[in-house]
Amino acid sequence: MNLRKLLKMIYRVYINFKKGILDPEAEAIKRTIDSMGYKTIKNISKGKFFDIEISSSKNTLGDLEKISSDLLSNPIIENFKIIKK
Amino acid sequence: MPKKVVSIVVFPGSNCDRDLDIAVQKYMNVNTELVWHDDPNIENQEMIFIPGGFSFGDYLRSGALATKSPAMKEVIRLSKKGVPIIGICNGFQILTECKLLDGALIDNYKRLFICKENFVKIENKNTPFTQNIKKNVVQFPIAHAQGRFYTSEDNLKRLEDNNQIVFKYSSRDGKINKSENPNGSMNNIAGIINKNKNILGLMPHPERAVNFSEYNDGVSFFRGLQNLL
Repeated sequence: MNLRKLLKMIYRVYINFKKGILDPEAEAIKRTIDSMGYKTIKNISKGKFFDIEISSSKNTLGDLEKISSDLLSNPIIENFKIIKK
Repeated sequence: MPKKVVSIVVFPGSNCDRDLDIAVQKYMNVNTELVWHDDPNIENQEMIFIPGGFSFGDYLRSGALATKSPAMKEVIRLSKKGVPIIGICNGFQILTECKLLDGALIDNYKRLFICKENFVKIENKNTPFTQNIKKNVVQFPIAHAQGRFYTSEDNLKRLEDNNQIVFKYSSRDGKINKSENPNGSMNNIAGIINKNKNILGLMPHPERAVNFSEYNDGVSFFRGLQNLL
């Protein structure tokens, strides 16, 4: 493995709706799964994620948190979670 | 005396800027300047409009990417100085994403793009933007897929207590109920102002209700804005 690959830092930012906010798309998907005959599906929530490659800095996580709360998510309706890949 | 000039900020994907331009010039008796989104200077600061459309293709969330445009940074700065700012449709979405207005505008309840004429009750006539509109219920078209107004219960209460809710979807005679709510907005909310009463956001399109003999409530909306200049 070359050094460049070893140093590659990728974080994944997950975004999903806060609890209690109706997501009509997830509801429609749930209804379709119900119609496929599955009886065990209780609830579906939908989200999205971003894989972000970042060069190392003193404040990598701080930057990512700021980007996530300031742009990638809307804190009024969404939560985010950052995970190192 | 030369005519006053108001600004209309245009983003890649805006599509109501020209209609708005025509309505503003004709019924506010002003000249306009279209400001491209990457211009950090807004010369004419009498009043600023953020038009409807699909800024940046509605990527990420409607209005989200537009909030970082240099022109919007200037709009945010000027808003603190009391400059009157009006966001229509995508403009309303941009203003909420900028946190200049409360709440968020999310997918319509039935996930459809809704394009229709709608009755809208003026809930608060004691605002600089609505005080000159004579009717209590106006007919403005709506055209959006993300117009469901959402905010926390606490914020909703604050908006109501401060009389910041300006427009609500209603019946022809001004009744507010679920059957007149096209998109699932909380409390039928169609438009709000900020606490300082200098920023208005609304989902309906007054600029699309100006050119018809019996469908021209937009005229009184724009004429009524002249007193702000």
